[in-house]
Amino acid sequence: MEALQNLLMGFTVALAPQNLLFAFLGSVLGTAIGVLPGVGPVAGVAMLIPLTFQMSPTGAIIMLTALFYGTQYGGTITSILLNVPGEAASAITCLDGYAMAKQGRAGVALSIAAIGSFVGGTIATIALVLAAGPLTRMALQFGPVEFFALIVLGLSLLMGLAGKSMVKALMMGIFGLILAMVGMDPVRGLPRFTFGRMEFMDGIGFVPVIMGLFGLAEILVNTEEKLTSVSVAKMSSLVPGKKEIGDSVGPILRGSVIGTLLGLVPGMTGSASSFLSYIAEKKVSKYPDRFGTGMIEGVAGPETANNAHANGALIPLFTLGIPASPTVAVIMGAFMMHGLIPGPFLFKEHADVAWGVIASFYVGNVILLILNLPLIGIWVKILKIPYGLLFAVIVAFMMVGAYSVSNSTFDILVMVLFGIVGYLLRKLDFPLAPIVLTLILGPLMERSLRTALDMSQGDFGIIFESPIAVVLLSLAAVILVAPAFRFFRKKTETLSGEEGA
Amino acid sequence: MRGILEQGEGMQRIHQGAALCFVAFSVFVVWEAWNLEYYTPLGPGPGFFPLWLGAVMGGLSVLWLAQVSSRRGRPKEGALLPERDGRVRLLSVLGSMVAATLLMDVLGFQSAMFLLLLFLLLIPGRQRLWLTLVVALLGSVGIYHLFGSYLDVQLPKASLSLLARLGL
Repeated sequence: MEALQNLLMGFTVALAPQNLLFAFLGSVLGTAIGVLPGVGPVAGVAMLIPLTFQMSPTGAIIMLTALFYGTQYGGTITSILLNVPGEAASAITCLDGYAMAKQGRAGVALSIAAIGSFVGGTIATIALVLAAGPLTRMALQFGPVEFFALIVLGLSLLMGLAGKSMVKALMMGIFGLILAMVGMDPVRGLPRFTFGRMEFMDGIGFVPVIMGLFGLAEILVNTEEKLTSVSVAKMSSLVPGKKEIGDSVGPILRGSVIGTLLGLVPGMTGSASSFLSYIAEKKVSKYPDRFGTGMIEGVAGPETANNAHANGALIPLFTLGIPASPTVAVIMGAFMMHGLIPGPFLFKEHADVAWGVIASFYVGNVILLILNLPLIGIWVKILKIPYGLLFAVIVAFMMVGAYSVSNSTFDILVMVLFGIVGYLLRKLDFPLAPIVLTLILGPLMERSLRTALDMSQGDFGIIFESPIAVVLLSLAAVILVAPAFRFFRKKTETLSGEEGA
Repeated sequence: MRGILEQGEGMQRIHQGAALCFVAFSVFVVWEAWNLEYYTPLGPGPGFFPLWLGAVMGGLSVLWLAQVSSRRGRPKEGALLPERDGRVRLLSVLGSMVAATLLMDVLGFQSAMFLLLLFLLLIPGRQRLWLTLVVALLGSVGIYHLFGSYLDVQLPKASLSLLARLGL
């Protein structure tokens, strides 16, 4: 009941004309970013943070979150019409979505994907409303020790799921933490790794670093090949038939549950949700062998799951202050730039912002449904803009975006440097997601531990006095150490196999 | 077969070189952290976290070096950098961005951005001249007014008197 009252209060904020406009702008820009090649959601959100500096914190967060889940809608369009996923979470949609487009059923695939995304996003938002109260009350019991342990657990989950190599994922996590050390020490206020430069006193700006690592690096990878335009599959009627609607109901409901639940797990990506949903649909289908040939279930399930995931991933951010994915970490950075700390205190101290933003998710999903069904033609036209033209404009926006963080050309050079670093790290097959999370969570993690140790006058025993912290840290240790055991077991099996042979 | 092996070995050397770069980076971090206060009577000092991070990074880098040096962990074939044409495009994008950034305080944002867009659209982008001119002009002036007038960002103005007199 209390949640409903809060949500109604949130709607009065979200439906204010200026906030509606920001939700609309975020949805349009998000869809465009999802459609455009070369800018993923992480770089897209980072790139547009400077646009929000003059806005109210509520308006800014409404726009950026709408942009985030808008990219999930946009990514679908290219997967279905081009067979090229606009972002990773829509990759699996290519299999049946593009097959449907080749059969002249692109319109139906897009309609079902948009409806599924809407349902998935809405169900995940309902979960957020229901979870907000209990999770926030639990998080309010947390002191610096528990908070430190929670961050460590979140980061371990992310590293555990980040890629093929745990060593590489850990290296990138530590690299992000080292970058976060640049600037003033958060407890004593002494400069670290600043090399006497004033620009580093406030730390390395996360916006230029993320734009470089994700946005510019992607552009550099794309410029390796000749910059050509693409051919787009023809559009057809958007109205699905009765059978297609009937076949989509189950996948949409299952996708909503899968996406919302996996969204809660830090480190779990949207692509994991859509992939799992695809597998689930194949398992329950009477015709699993027909998947990949244009089955509507192969579009409805994954597309619902990735949008439910995007909204579900905001639950740990809002309630615990822990971002579950790189893009959510960037949104967390935006919160902090606007003087807000996401987490339980957000509901206590800025209830209007917290509930206003949550209510805006419903509004944003309705806007996106409208944008993605009747206005699909506009997005198809955007797809036809040659990349040779598009990339130059993206570069220009990235440069001005990096500059406007602190009105300094130095930040553009930081972005270029991290563009090169990101390009090389990609080539060496390093996962980049851990860098974003540790870069943003690093200062919070250090402050929590050092505050706790200040309280115990330097005695590490304080960590073991908290049962919650012990449980959380033990879980983190299991996640980090388990792959090593698997490695040794595999090695032993190989050796015994060799001996046997 | 020999060629493939050599290619694989080449990639292995690149990975080994990268691992050594990470080792050097960790040594640098530890060195810098060493000069900061490690522990105070109240608890950890500013050097505590960086020192441990540098040490862990060093350990992981050595582990990765060992992995890529072993026969099982040998990286797959491929190239770190693209062929000549791709390399030229890559360097031209990066070089033009750095040049435009350095020229911004001299020529002003609008002129530097106009030149950057002109170059990017014409050379790596291979767009037609008229389209390039229109997009470069609209892009540089448009972005300047969007960020300068509506979003209150103080974009650089030209320090050259001739350009400054033109309002650039």
